[in-house]
Amino acid sequence: MSGLIGPLVERAAGLLPEQGPLQAFVHHNTLHAFEHLPFADAVVRAGELFGTEPFPAEAELHGHVRSGRITHADIDAVVAAEVADDGAPIMPGGPTRREFHALRLRHLVDVPRGAALSWLLAESADLGVTWDCLREAAPRVVPVAGPMPRPRDRVLAATGVDPDQLAHPVLIRLTAAFLDQGVAYWPMPGRDGGLLAAFVALYGKPGGPPDRFLRGLPACLRAHRDWDAERTIAWALTELEVPEPEWGEAVLATLLSLRGWAGMVRHLELRPDRAPVAAPPARLVDYLAVQLVLDVFAARHVLATTDPHLVVEVTARPDLELAYEAFVLAEILGVEPTDPTAWLTVVGGCDGIERRRLLHAAYERRHRVGVLDGLAAHQALSTQVTEAPAFQAVFCIDEREESLRRHLEENSPSVETFGYAGFFGVAMNYRGAHDIKSTPLCPVVITPTHDVVERPIGSTRAFTRRARAGWTHLVSVGSRTLARGGVLSLAMGVAGFCSLVSRCLFPRQAQHWAHRFDGKPPATRLDLGFTVAEMTAIVANVLRTTGVLAAPAPIVLLVGHGSSSMNNPHESAHDCGATGGGRGGPNARAFAAMANHPDVRSGLGLPDGTWFVGAYHNTCDDSVTYFDEDLVPSSHLEPLAAAKFALAEACVLAAHERCRRFETAPTDLALADALAHAETHAVDLGQPRPEYGHATNAVCVVGRRSRTRGLYLDRRAFLVSYDPAADTDDALLTGLLLAVGPVCAGINLEYYFSYIDPAGYGCGTKLPHNITGLIGVMDGHASDLRTGLPWQMVEIHEPVRLLLVVEASPARLLAILAAHANLGRLVGNGWVQLVSWDSDGQMNVFQDGAFQPYTPETGHFPVVERSADVYAGKREHLGCAHVMAAIELPVPVFAATQDAL
Amino acid sequence: MSGQVLLVAAVAVPLVTVFVLALVLWSGRPLGERAVSNLVILAAAVSAVSGLGMAVVSLVDGPIAVSLGTWFADFPLRLRADWLSIPVATMAALLGCLIGAFSQRYLHRDPGFRRFYLLLALFVAAVELVVLAGTLDLLIVGWELAGLASALLIAFFHHRNGPVAHGLRAFITYRVSDIGLVGAAVVEHRGGSHTAVGLLLLWAVIGKSAQFPLGGWLPRAMEGPTPSSAICYGAISVSLGPYLLLRNGINGSAVVAVGVVTAVFATLVGRAQTDIKSTLAYASMTQIALVLVEIGLGLEVLALVHLLAHAALRSAQILRSPSLLHDHHHLEQALNAPLPRTGKHFDWLLPRGAQAWLYRFALERGYVDAFLVDRVVGGLVRAVRGLDAAGERWVRRSSTRPPAHPAVSR
Repeated sequence: MSGLIGPLVERAAGLLPEQGPLQAFVHHNTLHAFEHLPFADAVVRAGELFGTEPFPAEAELHGHVRSGRITHADIDAVVAAEVADDGAPIMPGGPTRREFHALRLRHLVDVPRGAALSWLLAESADLGVTWDCLREAAPRVVPVAGPMPRPRDRVLAATGVDPDQLAHPVLIRLTAAFLDQGVAYWPMPGRDGGLLAAFVALYGKPGGPPDRFLRGLPACLRAHRDWDAERTIAWALTELEVPEPEWGEAVLATLLSLRGWAGMVRHLELRPDRAPVAAPPARLVDYLAVQLVLDVFAARHVLATTDPHLVVEVTARPDLELAYEAFVLAEILGVEPTDPTAWLTVVGGCDGIERRRLLHAAYERRHRVGVLDGLAAHQALSTQVTEAPAFQAVFCIDEREESLRRHLEENSPSVETFGYAGFFGVAMNYRGAHDIKSTPLCPVVITPTHDVVERPIGSTRAFTRRARAGWTHLVSVGSRTLARGGVLSLAMGVAGFCSLVSRCLFPRQAQHWAHRFDGKPPATRLDLGFTVAEMTAIVANVLRTTGVLAAPAPIVLLVGHGSSSMNNPHESAHDCGATGGGRGGPNARAFAAMANHPDVRSGLGLPDGTWFVGAYHNTCDDSVTYFDEDLVPSSHLEPLAAAKFALAEACVLAAHERCRRFETAPTDLALADALAHAETHAVDLGQPRPEYGHATNAVCVVGRRSRTRGLYLDRRAFLVSYDPAADTDDALLTGLLLAVGPVCAGINLEYYFSYIDPAGYGCGTKLPHNITGLIGVMDGHASDLRTGLPWQMVEIHEPVRLLLVVEASPARLLAILAAHANLGRLVGNGWVQLVSWDSDGQMNVFQDGAFQPYTPETGHFPVVERSADVYAGKREHLGCAHVMAAIELPVPVFAATQDAL
Repeated sequence: MSGQVLLVAAVAVPLVTVFVLALVLWSGRPLGERAVSNLVILAAAVSAVSGLGMAVVSLVDGPIAVSLGTWFADFPLRLRADWLSIPVATMAALLGCLIGAFSQRYLHRDPGFRRFYLLLALFVAAVELVVLAGTLDLLIVGWELAGLASALLIAFFHHRNGPVAHGLRAFITYRVSDIGLVGAAVVEHRGGSHTAVGLLLLWAVIGKSAQFPLGGWLPRAMEGPTPSSAICYGAISVSLGPYLLLRNGINGSAVVAVGVVTAVFATLVGRAQTDIKSTLAYASMTQIALVLVEIGLGLEVLALVHLLAHAALRSAQILRSPSLLHDHHHLEQALNAPLPRTGKHFDWLLPRGAQAWLYRFALERGYVDAFLVDRVVGGLVRAVRGLDAAGERWVRRSSTRPPAHPAVSR
């Protein structure tokens, strides 16, 4: 019997949140487990299972209809595509189904439900013949209780008392203690044997907690001392009177009741290497066994101490809510329901979920049209760079780099920029000079096999740094204890007060003061554990895919990125997704070192006039750090200095553009204050919005930069450089799409779900978050582990599915989709919107299993001199525009501050 | 004279601000985030500056007292500022001001922004009243308002069950400890013994400062936004208990006993807590207990310094608690080694069996909650229900007419 348990738990585990410890946050599709279903079905199914929202709320979507964000043309187009219609009216004199839907979607009808409706009907006078007919014709429904897979649900329904109120606090305490990575002064004894063994050892002792519901637990645990988890689970399910065929449902529902904790146990079971310090031997079956044992005692206690009193109603009644909705709609739309049954059917067929689905499709359509028309119109205006580039810069494809690249090109027309996944093909286990262990820096799907170590050369100031850190640690731990705490709180009171004053009133200066003695980091070198052949392959692939190899400039910058912020448990969610939630600086540095390697250069025929420099862009404060500048040949120092200056200027402009989204920044923020404003957001302990991260991401363009150069994309587009000319057999494109498609879709969908249901899929507001065990956050002192993104990260997001525009013909894309099931599923089931963009400019949108030609709709396309002309004074999402290059603009650059950081 | 003006201003400005703000918000006038928060920060700043001014004046002229007439018979409105109340009042107002400035960014765009500032203003005003009150009766008024404000701040996110339940828990604990405070006032008016007054005040302190065995609400109070947790439970709210004892000159073995028991209990329990805010809550409890020991031993100045220093340090730590992951990573890098494991002395001091027992004791928060809620409160509720059922049966047996709806009477 207990042999059944393993597969049941495995099946349930697939539906738990996949998020790991917060120190390395990896964006992924929240509903990854549902990707085998079409998007619309998946979100509804998941909504039923998790109790979450499938689409944005109807009121919000109607707000967009009113504001014009969704136009009537969008609604009509969506209805025409989605609603089957035979052209005949629903009833004589009435609208057709399509006409009905198109009208219905334009009206937000607030139908009172339940008691409110009964009251309304009782209070209102005679509603007339129409109402009587509709009420007569209304289908009869039996009120059904929701599914009750868990014994706890039945106890709750029968008694009105929730046994989880008893069991969950104990389970949360235990699991948190078991998984703790070093918050508690005192680690859980005996956790090396697993959660169940530790539970039995701790709670099996006599003289345990006096809670009445735990009476008999020690004896029970002692009696089952030698049982394994599977046997305990089988015992508990039997004890809870769950029939064996329903075990699967019960196991799933039980695990989902605290899915954050269950998911974390599962994650550390599969990926113990991702634990911030050291993973305990976590097993989901252990966790489930503990939960079910507690469930047994809680349910028994509730049933023994309360009398069942709630009665479930089972008589069939007419569906008055539907009848009333049909009645109101008949009045609003001016329809005489001569055939009440037909009218009720069509009204019932366009229920809340369906309306939200259609309105959301219209919402996405308006966005899609805006972007595709912008791309198409821009082709007429874009110009090729003819002169040889002064320098080239390869950035991550991240949509936050879009503005930096645009400003760089806008300010320095002789610069070429490229986009490549921010690990630059270097998949490595990296250990920095100060790191205590290696971390993988590459997409999560790759398991790196090479080690790269940063080795200090020359003297370091490690001693003072170490002493200061030791003192900080002593204060933070000691102040929480009794005797040391007494001495320290007396001694450190003044320091605490100074810290309070400075952090509350002068956050940016406080950060500078706190780090004033840090000094320059020691000079280091990378020890690359790659062979020349491997390095040559990596360099060749990146340079060929992007198109750099065709004509390299004297200086080629590789710019990795990451983000550093305070007051932000989700700090690592702002880091580079392509490095698996790490910071891409070391990858850029390693790539540059490889490309500068004499053997690699000779192998690829790279000219001597080219030098590669790695750099790191902090997207939170818009600072750039350069690596290994001391290795740059003297002939390249001057072009490098010019490149650094150009990038510093672009950073100021990008920071200025980015700050428009912060309500804390005035709409007329001076260019000179932009960097300081961004930096304040990064270091302020009171700032829940260090940056907006990937929020608003919506588009991914795979193709030559020349097709998007000078196009204002509002920091919303992932830009992937792809040179079709260098790709004769589609190998490069296949590789790109396999990497870029799931990564960008994962980011996009995580934002989608965290936005549409901030409490169910996201982790709610950050304000009460409480870090537990160094692995995650809870709301307050004992809640489920909250997964997903906090509201402050996603509040400005537009929930649209990724619009993936690829410079390739439909036939080539169809071949790639057919050959790769995962990608085919993602596109075929509508988790991303794929658009083929031929070299002749023709666009084809993938819909309903085939590419359908797209014709631009709008004629209007703004042309401006500078990006600032588009965004100045605005906070909302902005459409595409063409920005002319090389219009002079004085940019205040503080080269000194750029260097110091 | 000027000292008296400052004294009145320190109390009256925040109080008037609360009333004005409440009226404006109640009238439904749309007020911007900036306007609301600046008003509250300004009020706290005026209070803090008045406190500093009073410090100067009292150094020259000695303690300040002011009488504002009587509210009703036997209820004089008297304020007093001396070596004890001035530092505490100034510190509370300064913290109110700093937390106000901090929360402008922290709570920006939160739907409850204005409510938060109204409650923060109420809290600061109430604390100023507690600290500067010249009579126990007036102190009680401030005490109740401060309790109300902090319970409402715990329940700030009232769309979820947890915060509301925990706010209610704090509210009920405060009400239980009020019996001590009001009792003390009554006994004092009747000319009762100083010992009786002292014991009753100690009762009040146990609830307010989360001492053993009524401290279970403190970790639960971390449901509110971080800044309110910092000012209430890291700093000011829990410090009001020791202040009450200092103000009324209460010391002696009972105070020491409560302090010692709580200190040992809280430090043990705190060591097994795995979330940063609970850890800090128990750390606060430990240090406040130490302050009680100092008060009990008559070390008043040390107690005052300890109280204020702890308030500053702890609220700074709570404000920094959301950056724990960032700090942990940077500490590891700076040390170039994993952080040293803590709690090793338990391993070699205690036998394995005792370790498990003690750890379970700590993890289950000393069983105090279970005992109080399940046995004491639950027992009371069950007893009342039993009596109710017995009465029901008795009525049914003795009445001649059967009740019309037996099902309803359940």
